[in-house]
Amino acid sequence: MWFLPVAIIVFTIIVAFPLSKYMTKIMEGKYRAPGIVRWIEERLDTGEQDWKQYTIALLVFNTALFIYGYVILSLQPWMPLNPLHRGLLSPTTIFMTAISFMTNTNLQHYSGDQHFSNFSQIFFCIANFFLSAAVGLCALTGIIRLFRGQKKIGNFFVDMWRVVVYIFLPVAFVVSLVFVQQGMPMTYRSAYQVNTLEPTAMGATDSGQAKQQTIVVGPLAAFVPQKMLGTNGGGFYGMNSAHPMENPTALTNFFTTFAMMIFPFCLVLMYGRMLGRFRHALVIFAVMLVMFIGTIVWAIGFDTLRPNPGLTAHPDARTYTIADANAPGGKRLLALPAVAGLPVDQHLGNLEGKEMRFGTSAGATFAAITVDVTCGAVNAEHDSLTPMASVSPMVGMWLNCIFGGKGVGMINMLLFLVIGIFIAGQMVGRTPEYLGRKIGGREMKLAMIALLVHPIMILMPTGIFAATTWGSGATSNPGPHGFSQMLYQFSSASANNGSAFDGLGVTYGFYNNTSPAPEAKQWDIATGLVMLFSRFLPIIAPIALAAGLGMKKVAPFGPGTLRDDTLTFAFLLGGTVIIIGALLFLPVAALGPLAEHWGPFPFGG
Amino acid sequence: MMRYISKSVLLLFLAVVICCGIYPGVVWAIGHIFFPAKAEGSLLKGPDGQVVGSKLIAQPFTKDEYFWPRPSAASYDGSASTSSAIAASNYALRDRVARQLGPIVKYQSGPKAGQLVAPDVEQWFQQDHFQGAPGIVAQWADMHNELATAWVNADPTHGAYVDAWAKAHPDTVAQWIKSNPSTPQPKAADLAVVFFENFSKENPGRFPSAVTHTGADGKSTTAIEPVKDGSDVQSIFFDMWRQDHPDVALQNVPGDFVTTSASGLDPDITLESAEFQLDRVASKWAADTKRDPATVRAEIEQILQKNASAPFDGLAGEKLVNVLEVNLELRDRYGAP
Repeated sequence: MWFLPVAIIVFTIIVAFPLSKYMTKIMEGKYRAPGIVRWIEERLDTGEQDWKQYTIALLVFNTALFIYGYVILSLQPWMPLNPLHRGLLSPTTIFMTAISFMTNTNLQHYSGDQHFSNFSQIFFCIANFFLSAAVGLCALTGIIRLFRGQKKIGNFFVDMWRVVVYIFLPVAFVVSLVFVQQGMPMTYRSAYQVNTLEPTAMGATDSGQAKQQTIVVGPLAAFVPQKMLGTNGGGFYGMNSAHPMENPTALTNFFTTFAMMIFPFCLVLMYGRMLGRFRHALVIFAVMLVMFIGTIVWAIGFDTLRPNPGLTAHPDARTYTIADANAPGGKRLLALPAVAGLPVDQHLGNLEGKEMRFGTSAGATFAAITVDVTCGAVNAEHDSLTPMASVSPMVGMWLNCIFGGKGVGMINMLLFLVIGIFIAGQMVGRTPEYLGRKIGGREMKLAMIALLVHPIMILMPTGIFAATTWGSGATSNPGPHGFSQMLYQFSSASANNGSAFDGLGVTYGFYNNTSPAPEAKQWDIATGLVMLFSRFLPIIAPIALAAGLGMKKVAPFGPGTLRDDTLTFAFLLGGTVIIIGALLFLPVAALGPLAEHWGPFPFGG
Repeated sequence: MMRYISKSVLLLFLAVVICCGIYPGVVWAIGHIFFPAKAEGSLLKGPDGQVVGSKLIAQPFTKDEYFWPRPSAASYDGSASTSSAIAASNYALRDRVARQLGPIVKYQSGPKAGQLVAPDVEQWFQQDHFQGAPGIVAQWADMHNELATAWVNADPTHGAYVDAWAKAHPDTVAQWIKSNPSTPQPKAADLAVVFFENFSKENPGRFPSAVTHTGADGKSTTAIEPVKDGSDVQSIFFDMWRQDHPDVALQNVPGDFVTTSASGLDPDITLESAEFQLDRVASKWAADTKRDPATVRAEIEQILQKNASAPFDGLAGEKLVNVLEVNLELRDRYGAP
């Protein structure tokens, strides 16, 4: 039960220490690449940039990446590697998908196995996997250099090249070898048609013959490593890492989970190494790790250690007083009888929407981790998690800093850190300082902008959709869980996560689809915009913040200085994250998963 | 600015060539040199040498001679993986599981220990009382409007049956339209609940089900008729029967046997689920091959044990068997079912 999560965490931490050292070496430019590679690197160099130039270069490159993605997807019907003749996706889906992959979100309103050709899988997905992840890592590197007081913070294009070629590629290659050995397909073929062992069991075609089984395959062993390493999470198949081709064994699941955690773990340590404040980084790491373990234990506790409450007995009859305009006094009583249990052996926990081969607690563990590190791949159906267990992934997305995505998770934590120090400064009546530099009004404003984008981008559209048929026309589960589906979708979009409650009807499919999900266009456009804002504002504002902070004079270390490498500081930081997170999101949690947990069970139907 | 644009394009170009061209190509080459079968999707061949599927992808089995995989929300379509996405709180989950359980659940203790509950469900259904009130089918439709509607939409013959009923009951339909003025021209699905209420009154202890008759000319015809027993009654009304008999001890069914997987293509079942199916499988093969049931059972048990393995040697989970591999072995040993 606990072996799997413990083994994964311990293994990742052990790898993170040396790997973060290597990454520091790369990002400090101390690695000299062999001839031709360095020659190319020099071709990309436009010279040292200040923070504004660096940010502009970042935005220009992302614009290019968006256009590239949009064009590649639009060309799908005319490109090679498409023997199944996948057609043109709906324009809104292409818009949403191009943004989704560019922003490292990888929220998918399409199903890879039904809508993408291998050409799109390779040239759209894999390209974005490497590049969008590198953008976040470069942003963090830029901020670290600004914190060090550097005016010129290196060159964005050179940084990108180093991240992609010297860091991501070698690690992805090693992981791909494990995957291909374990039986993950690696082929340019698209699908097999087979007659199954009991041919009639597949049903019959219109002409009365036994249906064949279509088995979609593809270049998975090259696709999946960077999907996870870049905390991208956009699945080759609709069901992502739950699909047996995309995650064939318990060992691939172990390395899949490891791959999404490793770089977020490394980046915190890299932050400390590059700043020369390793102890401080270790404190941040510890705070993150405690919350990380908390979300995993929560998910396992409510999903693996307990049966699915939809099938068990609920022996107490309950009565609710509910508002009813037609009843005398405006209220009436609703009586719910006791419910008898179904004879199902549930000692393995909630198995609806779980795969068997990964291990008993693998689904819940993965669900918590994939949101903590904002990967968004799933190996279980989050929609079918028990209501309380589904709080864990939501909290991961709402806080968005429990290690968090490539670079941006650490950046989010820095925002909480600045705010925590500010609050502490207010409490003791001292000017707040970080890294010896005074936090002023400009810094606080920028931090608040970056921090508030996230709740606004979740709560506002969720409210709008919940109040209109845009939302109610898409939900597939009744009652509070339907609300959770909408809430989850926007949380996932804003946290740049990409996992989803898959029952939500958001798939338009091909442009000529005659029966798309009725509200799919609205969801495409709304989530597309949310992802865009929630990606770039929390990158740009912190860079500006770091630039301002970095230029200030360093105050000498005195007896009144708030030490940032102590247990007290850890409590301050963890407390800030949890209190702010609870203030922002507890009310909405009460409407969704908590209402579902304590409300009538089962519901509707 | 122009320099940034040109460098962006150059970086993009280089990344595409390296990450989308060279890197997958190298992995492809390594895969095909060292693990060619795995790299092509772990395909398995059947008794006639033809490919019958992939070791990794579940396929459907319905014959009693074979072990059955977990239920699939994707209908075992290897090109459309999907989960049920049904929330624990959604009644649809309990309903789906209860329908699967109804025909197979057995008593655990008491005088009928080991016997199926299905005959008792049918008998209870024919009494037509639920929670002390008459009209089981009417109560079912009232409590679960969506299920009633789903029944009408499930098959064209169901819709036609309701249409025919509506034509024969113009007064009831007119009454319904009066109380639902927003739907002046109701379709069959709109009338689902009132149809079942009326049906229950006219056919107490009956449910509309497909019945196949063989005519004098040997041709068989299928029609919807009120029936008092059969698989529809056993499955649809098992949950209500259970609510009327909450304290009866029943044998538990393995969890993975009645829950859908995340991909809809989970190729494995727990060894527990296989053992649960063993009696059915073994007795059927014994009958087919006219051999001693106990010997066949022991042989198949051996096949299961040989194929069973647990994730991380049992450190992270329970023993599982791959359904297709086991069934292929059964097919090899005993011939075509």
